[in-house]
Amino acid sequence: MTLQPDDFWSFYEWLLRPGAFLESALLQGIVLIILAIVLGLIVAYVISAARYGPGEGFYAVARAIRDFFVSDLPGTSPGRIYALARLAFKEAIRRKVLFVIGLFVVILLLAGWYLNPESDDPARLYISFVLTATNYLILALALFISAFSLPQDIESRTIYTIVTKPVRATEIVLGRMLGFIGVGTVMLVPMGLASYIFVKRGLDHTHQEVVEAEEDNGRIIGETDFVRRHSHQFTIEPGETQGLTDFVRGHRHVVTRVDDATFTVGPPTGHLRARIPSYGSIQFYDRSGEKEDAGIDVGAERLAGGYSNLGISRLIGVARETRKMEHGYVEGGTLGAAEFTFDDVTEARYPNGIPVDMSIRAYRSYKGDIETGIRGSLTMRNPDTKAESNPIAFIVDEYQVDERTLPLEIGGTDANGETRTLQVFDDLVTEDGRLQIVLRCLDRSQYLGVTKSGIYLRPAESSFEWNLTKAYLSIWLQMTMVIAFGVMFSTFLSGPVAMVATAVCVLLGFSAESIYDTRHYIDSNVSRGGGPIESLVRLVKQDAMTTELDVEGVANTLIKSADAIIVYTMDAVATALPNLPKMVRTAEYAASGFDIFNAILGRHAVATLGYCLLAFLISYFFLKSREIAA
Amino acid sequence: MDTESTAVAQSGDGTQPDSETTAAVTAATKNPGDVVIETRNLSKIYKDFWGRKKVHALKSLDIEVRKGEIFGLLGPNGSGKSTTIKLVLGLLFPTSGRVLVFDKDASETKKNEHIGYLPEESYLYQFLNAEETLDFYGRLFDMSGEQRKKRIEELLQLVGLQGARHRQLREYSKGMRRRVGLAQALINDPDLILLDEPTTGLDPIGIREMKDLILALRDQGKTILLCSHQLGDVQDVCDRVAILHQGELKELGRVTDLLKVQDVTEVHASGLSEDAKREIAEVIQRHGGDLKSIDNPTTTMEDLFLNIVRESEARPGARRVSASPESAPTDEGSDTESASS
Repeated sequence: MTLQPDDFWSFYEWLLRPGAFLESALLQGIVLIILAIVLGLIVAYVISAARYGPGEGFYAVARAIRDFFVSDLPGTSPGRIYALARLAFKEAIRRKVLFVIGLFVVILLLAGWYLNPESDDPARLYISFVLTATNYLILALALFISAFSLPQDIESRTIYTIVTKPVRATEIVLGRMLGFIGVGTVMLVPMGLASYIFVKRGLDHTHQEVVEAEEDNGRIIGETDFVRRHSHQFTIEPGETQGLTDFVRGHRHVVTRVDDATFTVGPPTGHLRARIPSYGSIQFYDRSGEKEDAGIDVGAERLAGGYSNLGISRLIGVARETRKMEHGYVEGGTLGAAEFTFDDVTEARYPNGIPVDMSIRAYRSYKGDIETGIRGSLTMRNPDTKAESNPIAFIVDEYQVDERTLPLEIGGTDANGETRTLQVFDDLVTEDGRLQIVLRCLDRSQYLGVTKSGIYLRPAESSFEWNLTKAYLSIWLQMTMVIAFGVMFSTFLSGPVAMVATAVCVLLGFSAESIYDTRHYIDSNVSRGGGPIESLVRLVKQDAMTTELDVEGVANTLIKSADAIIVYTMDAVATALPNLPKMVRTAEYAASGFDIFNAILGRHAVATLGYCLLAFLISYFFLKSREIAA
Repeated sequence: MDTESTAVAQSGDGTQPDSETTAAVTAATKNPGDVVIETRNLSKIYKDFWGRKKVHALKSLDIEVRKGEIFGLLGPNGSGKSTTIKLVLGLLFPTSGRVLVFDKDASETKKNEHIGYLPEESYLYQFLNAEETLDFYGRLFDMSGEQRKKRIEELLQLVGLQGARHRQLREYSKGMRRRVGLAQALINDPDLILLDEPTTGLDPIGIREMKDLILALRDQGKTILLCSHQLGDVQDVCDRVAILHQGELKELGRVTDLLKVQDVTEVHASGLSEDAKREIAEVIQRHGGDLKSIDNPTTTMEDLFLNIVRESEARPGARRVSASPESAPTDEGSDTESASS
């Protein structure tokens, strides 16, 4: 899992972006709300001026705003909201939406046939499948129930009996939203439980017997049989009856010795994780040992990086350079290195060694020895005294998290240049708890690539169950957002149109990052297919997307200008919409076995609340100004 | 004052609303604060999406509905009756003019606390049962659980749906839905009740019950505005009617007055000999027969209605309203005129 720069932000950094306020979420929210108010006032004035004439129209708008603050907002009654929410809930339930849960169970049953538990990383496969399935099913459901209900009430005129009671527009809107959120919640809980059971059961397996076991001075070393295309090595220490197998495909088993020749192998453990990482800052060094801003670019790394969501600053074109994380490479057999500096390394946090996880890419400039992977080394270093441990060599295991534990006592060179045994917390960690870990590549002319998230310390683990709950919370937040948008559109559009409008918002939200990237390529004049028109021309002409656009003269300028306008407009719209892919990506955390950062969940929660508020305001004014019986 | 003297001469068991209620209405009209609904120059033009005029549904309507009366809006389909009711409820916004309900603008939500509305058809949630429906509407008035429970019992009793309280409304007959609709309109014990076609879908017994109920509600001091094209209903229950045609007010006044034919005298007599009958016009007094009644005969609502509609179609435009709203109670015409204008 490669994280983007903004994934590392704390909640506070995200909200305010100290030093770069233009990128802050708060500013984005404020601008959005001001924009909505200004646009709302203009639209409201135009409509009421057409209805009542220019002078009277002004008063009508002023009255509507006064009513909102003076009577409707303070007069909103929780009792009525509850009654309306309950009605919306009952309506959805009596329309038998709960069948969707049944549908979900059927999907899981069918998926059981197709998800391969023998794959390299079955936990990731299973978890990402259940989360993605739940996510899209719930979003589709939210879309349907929210967009059709209010228009249907207006169509069937049941709304007449509601609005002729002392019910305020605020209550109708909030009641709907809350009712549907209730329905969604009632659906999500059993879906979550079913998913959990499915994952747990799907990954469960056991090894029936031990194929071979040798006793060596009381220590037993053996191997299990071959089940689901893997087997484990295990060791039982002298005098013990239980031992652990090694990690294969992300899990291990407990092996118990029953008597001399029989062993029992327990269920898999350790495959459902929620690692809590502690990231450091990264500094690259080139082959002569000089500091570099970035590592070596071995090919397509730069092009992959577009803009990430930087709020207003990207929109107004201040963020020029690419803001996506790229892999930087370190050349082997030279002074080139990647240096990670970690904070808060204390004995209390790491009492039994320092767990360090690596996800490193390898790049071969020649074939070399293809039997083994590329070799690298880790060195612990004191950032102040420059005391350094001896390098710990390893063979790079690409495409998975390589978990190691750094010892607390290791040979090395101390601050005075003497070679002795170093105590990590005394000699290598500074007073304020900083420790550097230096990654080098040992094979000459081969390269190792990392990003900031490539190497991290792992001070703790969270429980998988709680992590899955957090992933479901994230889905719940997305659902809430879609419901808010659906209800908003349904206050002034007919059901099907409201649904399409909401769907368009969702799709634009989903493709936000592709739009940012497209804009990045247009900004930086890189040929990557261009905007929609250019892409169409390329499709028809069957041109590759990395070539220059093969159209001459004015046509070329026309196409590019039109594309720029379209892409910039889409960019503005996408910036105004919730960044759904970011929210969907929490599934990736759970699937990769990472604890979903609380900061990220907090950000999503606040963003959801903000969009709900916006949708609520817009809904209120549309409903209030609408002639219900027209 | 021809009509007044004949009214006195009329025998007591007439079919028209009796003098007791007449007195109640006339007493109420004395006080201008008792105007419950007032429309001022109310107009409604339906426009299409582009703002082009489609229908001029209501043209400069001025009516007043007073506390404690049953006011009927009468007119053929498309005459603007429902539009008027919807404007009063704030379901539509007037193109020009104003509607005041309890001295508040019709667009204010607060007025709804004292209003009960029975829509044209019972637009209710089909997936709820009668009890849930009433409970839901009770909650919309922020009534406490106990209040709701008590009120639901009363209303189910009133509309006779105790036996069907747990059945979903989708299984109800049209008449039963109508009854639930009425019950929800009364859930808040409203002071003003708007009934849009209250008797449609009801069987003859149901119609009778509905009429009795409307009269009973009036006797409890409630104000009722109903619109209908069931002329019988209007004739039987309304104190005053406004007849609309093509969005214009054609006639407004007391039902008893509107149905009186002023230039005809009707004589009922019995015990006359054959000779006397032949010369009845001159000899009725001389023969000293038992005079049952001398009165202006009443026409039926149907005749009145059809006359107005025919006349209106022949000569479009605002008709001279024969009995102006102010002169509604005949015996105190001048009194109320000054009070309410």
